[in-house]
Amino acid sequence: MARAGGISNAVNVGIAVQADWENREFISHISLNIRRLFDFLLQFEATTKTKLASLNEKLDTLERRLELLEVQVGTATANPSLFNT
Amino acid sequence: MEGERPRSENPAMTFDEVSMERSKSFVKALQELKNLRPQLYSAAEYCEKSYLHSEQKQMVLDNLKDYAVRALVNAVDHLGTVAYKLTDLLDQQTLEVTTTGVKISCINQQLLTCQTYIEKEGLRQQQLLAIIPRHHKHYVLPNSVSKKVHFSPHVQADTRQNHFQARSRLQPSASPASKTLSWHLSSETKPTIKGSISTLESSEESKSSGGSSAAFQLLDKDDSTVSKPSGTAYASSGIQPSSGGMQSFGVPRKEAVDGSKHLGGFRSFDNPRRDIVRTPVPFRSKSVLSAFFVKQKASRLSAGSVS
Repeated sequence: MARAGGISNAVNVGIAVQADWENREFISHISLNIRRLFDFLLQFEATTKTKLASLNEKLDTLERRLELLEVQVGTATANPSLFNT
Repeated sequence: MEGERPRSENPAMTFDEVSMERSKSFVKALQELKNLRPQLYSAAEYCEKSYLHSEQKQMVLDNLKDYAVRALVNAVDHLGTVAYKLTDLLDQQTLEVTTTGVKISCINQQLLTCQTYIEKEGLRQQQLLAIIPRHHKHYVLPNSVSKKVHFSPHVQADTRQNHFQARSRLQPSASPASKTLSWHLSSETKPTIKGSISTLESSEESKSSGGSSAAFQLLDKDDSTVSKPSGTAYASSGIQPSSGGMQSFGVPRKEAVDGSKHLGGFRSFDNPRRDIVRTPVPFRSKSVLSAFFVKQKASRLSAGSVS
């Protein structure tokens, strides 16, 4: 009887250990995926910042060119005699 | 994807409406992602309480594992949607900025074309207004008093040109023929400059003075030759005699001797077919006239001594 109890205890321990290992494996999987998700978010942030910076630079360039054109057109409209042949 | 549905359902939407739809879908996806956080927090508290108070802990644990997996998948799905919509929005904005840059380049090119045209027109108008005189060298050799010596290769034997050809004069004994060579400049431009003098009247006057050889004589060391100007033809505009001191002699002398006479015409030696141009004599100050009279008297005296 004692031996049967001891064997059952060993089996229970083994089962428990196995379940524990499964749980740990599951947790490791979950944590690994969450870390991968975190890395994706970091990479996405860097890419989006680069795109936004380039877009901002293009917009600044366009603004300066538009200001220059505005001044040139204003000068031309102020002197309509230049276009009279 | 959800973003593509509105395009396929409404193909007649304008570009602004499509961009508005994209922005709205992005905002909606971002809001849903933000709402995931309280849901996950509430689910975690419920699982913790149920595992502590429930008797069937294994069943709670299994449910918790399933829920964790589904929540993770749902979070990844929402993040992917938000990332895709944001990337699409940024690409759309970049395309709009590029298109605007191209339009601005077109406007700039048009403006540069207008400026180039204005500059060319201005240069063309300026070139038409500019009158550049052309001068030709002309040698006049002195000879006898009655003869007309003319060494210009462009001179034609035309009677009408006699009025404008220089007449040779007797050279004074002190001045050899080589010293009396003079540059005669004739211009091809129209007589717009004042102060032109005919050759006929001035040559006759120099004849009476007795001893002048050419209208413009080189400034020699001998000052007597400088004081014997004679009338020779020279153009009305752009005349620049080699002797700088003689520049004013022709005009005042002409005016002093015969101020009321009408100046004869003159023509360029290169183009004898041109019409005779008559120009008025400009008014000179008395000081110049008086100085000229004094020199003229001196020339008459020297000519009388030679003969």
